[in-house]
This record gives sequence, C-alpha cells and structure tokens, in this order.
Amino acid sequence: MNVDEIMVRKLETIGSDAPVYDAIEKMVDKRIRSLLVKPKDEKDIPGVVTIRDIVYKVLAKGLDPNKIRIGEIASKPVVTVNKDMDMTHVINLMTKFNITRVFVSNGKDIAGVVSLMDVLSGALIERAKGGRLV
Amino acid sequence: MRKEDVLFEKVLFGGKPEQKVIDNIRNHIRILYSACELFKDALLKHDKALMLSITDLEREGDIVRREIVSNIYEGAFLPFLRPSICRFVEIVDEAVDSIEDAAIGYGSYNLNLDKPTEEDCLRIADLNIKICEMLSIAFETLFSKEDLREKSLVIRIYEKKVDEIKFEVLGKLRETEINNFWDGKILSDFISSLTRVSDIIEDASDYLYIVNVSLR
Repeated sequence: MNVDEIMVRKLETIGSDAPVYDAIEKMVDKRIRSLLVKPKDEKDIPGVVTIRDIVYKVLAKGLDPNKIRIGEIASKPVVTVNKDMDMTHVINLMTKFNITRVFVSNGKDIAGVVSLMDVLSGALIERAKGGRLV
Repeated sequence: MRKEDVLFEKVLFGGKPEQKVIDNIRNHIRILYSACELFKDALLKHDKALMLSITDLEREGDIVRREIVSNIYEGAFLPFLRPSICRFVEIVDEAVDSIEDAAIGYGSYNLNLDKPTEEDCLRIADLNIKICEMLSIAFETLFSKEDLREKSLVIRIYEKKVDEIKFEVLGKLRETEINNFWDGKILSDFISSLTRVSDIIEDASDYLYIVNVSLR
C-alpha cells in the first residue's frame, strides 16, 4: 500500500505571523493536533506547529499565547514523502525521526499528510484484504 | 476438518437452496459494487447517460433481492438465521437504492458541481467502491475461519473517512450562495444519498456480524 491510498488531503493551515492563540482555537474547534504553517513568501518553506509545541514551548513556560507568533515555535522544514512511496518507508521515517506525521509533497506544494492513525488504518485495511499488517 | 464440522457446515450452507441464496447474495453485492464503480466512472467522465444506467443495475438488484427472500421463505437456512440474512439482503438493497438516488440526482436534473465539490464526491465514490469490496470480503469470511471483526473494523474506518469528507463538503456548501430552492435541494439530496451508501454498508456489515455470531 502506498502513501496516496492513506494520506489525508485536507490540510489545516495557519499563517506564520498568526498568534499561537489562533492555532489553539483551530485545533480545539477541529479536534486536530497539528497545523501546517504557510510559507511567508516564495522564498520561505512550509513548517508545522503541533499541540506539543504549544504546550511545551508556550504554556509550560507561562508565556501568553496571544503574544507569541506561530513562526517562533513552528518546526521547519517538515519531513515530506512522495505520494508513490510505500507505507513501510513512511513507518521507518516516523520511527527514525520520532515523529507522528509526515507531509506528502507534490512538487513544491504539500498535497496531504499521513499521521500514525492513517498508517494504522492502512495497515488494518491491508490485513483485512489478506496482506500483511505492514 | 472434523466429520462433525463438515456435517455442521453442510447443514448451515451446504444444501442446494442455501447455496442458491449464497450465490445470489454474492451477485447482489457484485451489483452494488458495479453500481458504485459505474457512479465513479460516470462522475469522472461527466456522462449523465452512463450515470442513469445505474437504474438498470438497481432493477437487477431488486430481482435478485426478491429471489433471495423467496428462497429463504421457501425454507433455505435454519429458521434462527433467516431474519438476519433477510435483513442483510434488504440493507444491501437500500445501499443500491441510495447510489441510484444519487445517480438520478446527477443524471436527471441539471446538477452542476463546482470543481472542489466534484473532487470530494469522487473521493467519496472511490471510498464507496472500497467499502463494497470489503463487504464482499467480509461476506466470504462467513465461510472461512477468518476473523470477521477485522473486516468490520475496516468498513468502519472507510465509513469514518466518508463522514469526514461529508462534513467538509457540507461546511463548504453552507457558504455557497443558493439562488433557487430546488437547486439547493437537489444538491443536498445528491450529497446525502452519496454519503449514505457507506452508512448503510456499515449497517449491513453489522448484520453479517450477527449472522456470524449466530453460527457459533
């Protein structure tokens, strides 16, 4: 099974200059744990801000989420994979970098995201079809 | 396989009327699969005539359903299994009806989908095909020693994916300006019929599970 079959195409994004509070609102409303950070300009690259970044880098330090900008806590660059890549490779990447999601690149753009839950669902689908778990 | 097991399987599935019902259920699921495949193909090609040919499959499905139900009432299967099998067949038929409703909405009325909505509908149509395939695999599990739970779980995973896309589409559509009541209604009915298929198949898989439990 390849990435294209399990990736989620809907990406929630946020601007790099937005306050962290906006990200918190978006994550709570949409029940998601990460947001793709849009590049500032053509020279910039996309980043990612996760719930972990917000809790560890802002809340745990007693900082005001309204005063901190997303760009200050976001991680860049994001780990990307090709949509034709095999799921086993994605799992290896996740294990190697200790990350819970990888983004799917389409040229310069980000076309989707694969999270641990997507990998798990993909593995279950494969198994139900008579294949191996991964 | 033990002699008692062979005898047990023969009592449950092995008789001629039972085999006829099983073959017809396979055929019924195949019709549902073909309808879903045809739907995606027609949507991709913007072919309204092809889309409306799903009504032929629905009629064929009705014939098969009637035959299955009458075979069961003529005595196929042990009485305790009959209601669940009948209900399963009716639910599969509801799924065919639902895909037909969506097809009629698209083919008969002047339904124009914008590009993002069409892409979302294509994703749902693709998931509908996959969920049908899994229903067919789940049905075959009744006759093997494999675990049906795994197949039911995958059906639920697919259904959840369809749900996610449905809420996405509905969210976008709510922001679209509708100038005419009927245009809005046709579009809304189209989306609900298309997204209902996976809900119904999930119900069908629950009934398969009941049949499976009854067989233990």
